[in-house]
Formats: sequence, structure tokens, C-alpha cells
Amino acid sequence: MNQFGSGSPRTGGDGLGPWSRFASWLECVCVVTFDLELGQAIELVYPPDVRLTEKEKTSICYLSFPDSYSGCLGDTQFSFRLRQSVGRRTSRFGDVYNRDAPVTLQREVSHFFGYVYFRQVKDVSVKRGYFQKSLVLVSKLPYIHLFHSLLQIIAPEFFEKLEPCLEAVCNEIDQWPSPVPGLTLNLPLMGVVLQVRIPSKTDKPGGSPVKQAAKENLLPAPTLLPTIHELDLFRCFQSVLIHLQMLWELMLLGEPVVVMAPSPTVSSETVLALVSSISPLKFCCDFRPYFTIHDSEFREYTTRTQAPPNVVLGVTNPFFIKTFQSWPHVVRLGEVRMAGDLPKQVKVKKPSKLKTLDNKPGIYTTYKTFLHRDKILIKRLLKGVQRKRPSEVQSAILRRHLLELTQSFIIPLERYMASLMPLQRSVTPWKTPPQIRSFSQDEFMSTLDHTGPQLTSVLKGDWMGLYRKFFRSPNFDGWYRQRHREMTQKLESLHLEVVCDADLLTWTRDKSEVEIVDLILKLREKLMKARIQQLQVKDGVLHKLDAFIHTMIITLPRDLQTVLHTDSHIDFNSDVVDSS
Amino acid sequence: DMALRELKVCLLGDTGVGKSSIVWRFVEDSFDPNINPTIGASFMTKTVQYQNELHKFLIWDTAGQERFRALAPMYYRGSAAAIIVYDITKEESFQTLKNWVKELRQHGPPNIVVAIAGNKCDLSDAREVTEKDAKDYADSIHAIFVETSAKNAININEVFIEISRRIPVADAAGGASGKSFKLGRQASESRRTCC
Repeated sequence: MNQFGSGSPRTGGDGLGPWSRFASWLECVCVVTFDLELGQAIELVYPPDVRLTEKEKTSICYLSFPDSYSGCLGDTQFSFRLRQSVGRRTSRFGDVYNRDAPVTLQREVSHFFGYVYFRQVKDVSVKRGYFQKSLVLVSKLPYIHLFHSLLQIIAPEFFEKLEPCLEAVCNEIDQWPSPVPGLTLNLPLMGVVLQVRIPSKTDKPGGSPVKQAAKENLLPAPTLLPTIHELDLFRCFQSVLIHLQMLWELMLLGEPVVVMAPSPTVSSETVLALVSSISPLKFCCDFRPYFTIHDSEFREYTTRTQAPPNVVLGVTNPFFIKTFQSWPHVVRLGEVRMAGDLPKQVKVKKPSKLKTLDNKPGIYTTYKTFLHRDKILIKRLLKGVQRKRPSEVQSAILRRHLLELTQSFIIPLERYMASLMPLQRSVTPWKTPPQIRSFSQDEFMSTLDHTGPQLTSVLKGDWMGLYRKFFRSPNFDGWYRQRHREMTQKLESLHLEVVCDADLLTWTRDKSEVEIVDLILKLREKLMKARIQQLQVKDGVLHKLDAFIHTMIITLPRDLQTVLHTDSHIDFNSDVVDSS
Repeated sequence: DMALRELKVCLLGDTGVGKSSIVWRFVEDSFDPNINPTIGASFMTKTVQYQNELHKFLIWDTAGQERFRALAPMYYRGSAAAIIVYDITKEESFQTLKNWVKELRQHGPPNIVVAIAGNKCDLSDAREVTEKDAKDYADSIHAIFVETSAKNAININEVFIEISRRIPVADAAGGASGKSFKLGRQASESRRTCC
């Protein structure tokens, strides 16, 4: 009945060390404060032994505070993303989570997310006259909604009760079950139990999220979170609705985009909403929901000696207007203004206009969309505003539209990619697995006449042109690699299964020692690879092959047996330095 | 098809009186003499049948150490019951208990069921608090009272059974009785609604 494991967390009764459960959710929790002598400084970190490099610490400090003077009085929440220092030790093995999670919710490999709750209030007891402090959750998981909901529960208590509160929270998180795709988890925290479902790769895209029960709720926080990651897309896009098609194409193509926003909250939510707009496709370029001049990548990303990189940056500092003058696409947002009862829509302007003191919101670009915008969608959304349709419903309409658009685009690619897979009957035990045919852009284009996006989308325009441009983007590269890897692994599993069903013992009967040893080594290598890659094979296949290897070894002479046995001790749990 | 009720229960009391050991005995039926001090709070659940209902106890085992004292309201907020534990061999822990009772009366949920557990009753040679004194005090505040031994498994289940008995019938409970955990459980809870 006890779902939280036995074993008190500190003694690791379940065989896990201290903080290992915590580590499956968070890297650490930091408290960043403003020190008159030092500027921003980390006041407190949990767990105390977390390994952060000096560079990472500095970045966290800067990214946890509003960059320029802004009227962020009171409490503000926003998010950032930072690059991990190189040479960090990461475990390459056993990331079952990433195998089973939707690609858009995979654990980051070389970046951290920071989820910030910043408080700035007048305080006469402080020299500067203000109390300024941030509570920051640092994680590799893109669970924006979950972590910001946690902050809403934790931060107000923390600012009042300080370190013991943080210590308690971290210990409670260290009792949580690890996130497993497809499972609904109960997460006890500060006297409440949050219930969340972790999405799985096998979920139907666009399926309904967890149903929100009636709002009869006596606690300050909801106990059932309808989503761990989805944003209020409508709120994020309300002043750029008529440019949605353009923004979607810019994201799909991985174009360099800067979002200039009045606050870190708007900047980070807009960037995260943009990146999520091509879901279920994974956005494979770098993106920084909140980027500052102190960022360690600042120089790299703003150098004028080369073309702007394929990144999406969210900024608030007016200084950036000059820095990003030469960027192809700048989305400048202001406070949302209303025109009658509708949110005022920003205009598309020439990039050269950005030079002037014209600080009006607008999308500064010369980009022309490949596809025509969906006027019906925009009418529907605007009508929804007039009818006071709830923001969640508007967001659901938007999300549905973007999902269908992305799927219409990607289905022909998926279908063509699947046709490159060798026939199942060509997988035989006595040969290495057959190769996946290579991807030909021309061949793909020729399939579009009959099985193109027109089958599922009413949008007219130059789909071919969009595909051609997409082939040159990092998002295509990322998608292709992912599919290719999955197909290779599928072939490998099929091969293992046919090898397992083959009559290997009969085969070995008339073979020489050399040939048998060769077979043993080859099989062993295949098994090791299968285990490292967490290959999904039929039950019992790996065990049967292990047993077979063992049976073969004992038929060999003693000296060979010894050699083969000592050779087999390979440590699967050893850490490797991540060189990527 | 029994109705399921989720009941939030918190344990309060001085450090070292055996709060975690009581929870461990109840949930896991085990005892560890070298248990570490709790940090913040531990959370465990156990479901037991009471008459024609299933009672799922959501147990918040709080830290007794002084530095966590200010966190207690988070754990007794919305609790259906509080088990306040003292050590029968430590008079001081009985005084702390009285302070917890006062705090609950002032800031706790209005209808919270209070249970007083005099733990370590296996160490009666070293007793400093008489059973009668404790019982009289408990009666004066209408609290459940038992002497327990987490070590020898004495009266542990009984505390929880007694809590089940004293929990008001659903919805008659006002603000307390684990109502806060109703979300997502509407079906099972609504069945209990009368008139």
C-alpha cells in the first residue's frame, strides 16, 4: 500500500543512495540573492554536495534575476535554459526514461533548465531599500508547468521560513518515485499531494490531458495537475495570432529568432511556446527562454563575423536592439494592448526599422511564408475572445491547429522513411542485418503528388519549397537521426530474435574452434550493445542467448574457457565522460 | 465496492519520542532502533478497512527538531487527525505535547481529531509520566489516549482504528477530515453525500 518505497530516504533502504530519487527530478535548488558587494550571489544550494562548475554558478546567478530595470515588483516567475560546462560526467547507460518519453519531453543531455521564482519587495531594513531574492529549481526535465506549480507552493513558504523549509522540501522530493512515462504519480510536498501523469511516447498526440475534476478545493494549491509541460499558448500568442503561420514556419526551419519582451516572464513563456509549436517534432536547435548579456554564450551568439546561429533567444534588455540589428527575425513584444475587446495584433516591419527609435512592437523580418495563413482559425480565436471563451479552451484550439499542421507536414516524411526499411524476411540469422536504404530528397518529393500533406491539410501554398528548406535545417537532421536510430535498433532486435530462434547448436556441430569462438564473441558483442541501448526485444531472447553462449563455452577446451570467461567481465555501470 | 476516504494524518511531538517508529510499525510492521532523525517530514500511506469504508491514511510524519518547528502548520493544515506523541520516560516531552495541543487548538483545523500516544511503554522502569496523569489530561481535552510501544507493536494499530472511529461521517466533517484530497475522487466521495 505504501507507494513511496520502504527505507527511510537517508538510509537508502531501497538500495538507492541519498539524493538519487531527488536527482531524477532536479539537479539542485538554488537561492540567489543580491549582495551589495558581490552583485547576484548564490546564498544556498541543495543538495549541499551538488557539483556545479563556477561558470554554471555564475550563469545561474545572472539568469535568476531580471536583467534590466523593470517594474518586477512583487513576485515574478520565469524560466531559463543554460548550457552545461563541458567535460561533465554523465552516465551513458540506462536512460530508459528518454527511450519511453515523447521526444519533446526527453531529459536534456547537455543543458539545464532553470525555473525561477523572483521576489522583489520594499524593505527599509536593507541598504538598497529592496528585498530581492530568487528561488531556482534547476532540472534537466522540461516540465515547465509542474515546476512552476511547485514553486508557487514552495516559494512563499520558503521566503518566510528559510533554510529549514528548503531542507524539508528537498528531502520530500527525495522520497518521490522517479518519473516514468505513462505513469500517474503521487508527489507529496509540504503537506499536500500533487498528482501528475508523465506523458509517454505511445500516447496518442492531441489526446486529452488528465481531466480536471470539479474545482471544489480547500487547499491553496491544486492537487491534480492537468499537465506537467503545456503552456497557455493563447496567452503567449495573443498579440501575434495573425502571424502564427509565419512563427510556426520559422520554428520548423530552425531560423534565428530573437524575442524582445517587456519582462523575463513574457520572454521565457513566448520562447517556450514557440519551441513547443512544432510538437510532436523535437526542436533541435538551441533556445534560451531568457538570455542576458552576462550569458557565457553571449559573444558566440552575437558575433557579426558570421551568419546568426540557428537559435531562439528571449531577451528583455533594450541594449539588445543594437546587438540584434542584423538578425533576420526579431519579434518585439510590448504589453498586450486591446483594440476594442480584441488583443491588438502586431505588424510585420522591415528589419531596418529596428534601427530607429521606433520601439513599437512588431515582427521585424523580410520572411515570406511558404503556406497561406489559416484565416478561419484566426476568426475563430478572435470570436472566442469576444465571447469570453476561457483561455484554456482557446489554447486547446491553438494547440490542436498547430498539431494538425505539424502532423500534415511530417506524415509524408514518416511514410517515406518507413519505406526505406528492409523487408522483415530479409533479416536472417546467418547474415549481418540488412541496411536501411538511404534517404533521397528527390525520391521523397516524387511521393508528394499522391501522398503529400494535401491529404490531411487544407492549407495551400508552396509545400515543396517548405520541405526543401526544411531539409537544410537542424530539425530535419535531428528528426532523421532519431528515426534512423530507431529503425536500426528495430532491425537489430529483429536480428537478435531470429538468431535466438535459429538452431545454433546444430550449426556449431561441424564447425572449427575458431569459428565457434568467433560466433561467441560476435554474439556477446550484440548482447552487450542490446543491453546498453536498452533494446526492446521479446521476453527471454537475451537470456536464451546468454545461456547458449555459456553452453558453447563449456564444449571448448579448458584454456579457451578461461580466456572467454575472464573476457566477459564488462562493467555496465561505469561512468563515462560525455564528450559531446 | 467500498467507498474510499483519504484521511490526512500528521504526527507531532518532541524529537526522539518515536513518531517515525510508530509510522513504520503501522505501515511496514517493522522496527529499527537506529532510525535517523526525520528531516522536514516523511510521507507514507496505508489503507485499512473500517466498517464498510476504506480509509487511506495519508501520513505526514513531521520532524521533532526545533529548527523545523515553524513548518508544522503545512502538515497539520487540512489534517483530519493529529497524533501527538510523547515519551513516557521523558517528562519534558509531555510538556511539549501540551504546547502542541495549544497550537492545534489555536491554528489547527476546527474539527481535528487529536490522539495522544505515550510511546516507549516497554520501558516502564524508567517511567516519568504516569498513565493516570496522561489519561486525565487527554480526557480533559477530549483526545484519544493510548500508551504505545512501536518496538513491541503495542497499541499501534489501535490508535489508527480509534481515529477511524472518531472521524466524522463524510461531509459532516466541516473543513477537516481530509476533504482537501477530494479532487479526482469525486465519484467515491459523492456517494457518501446525504441529503
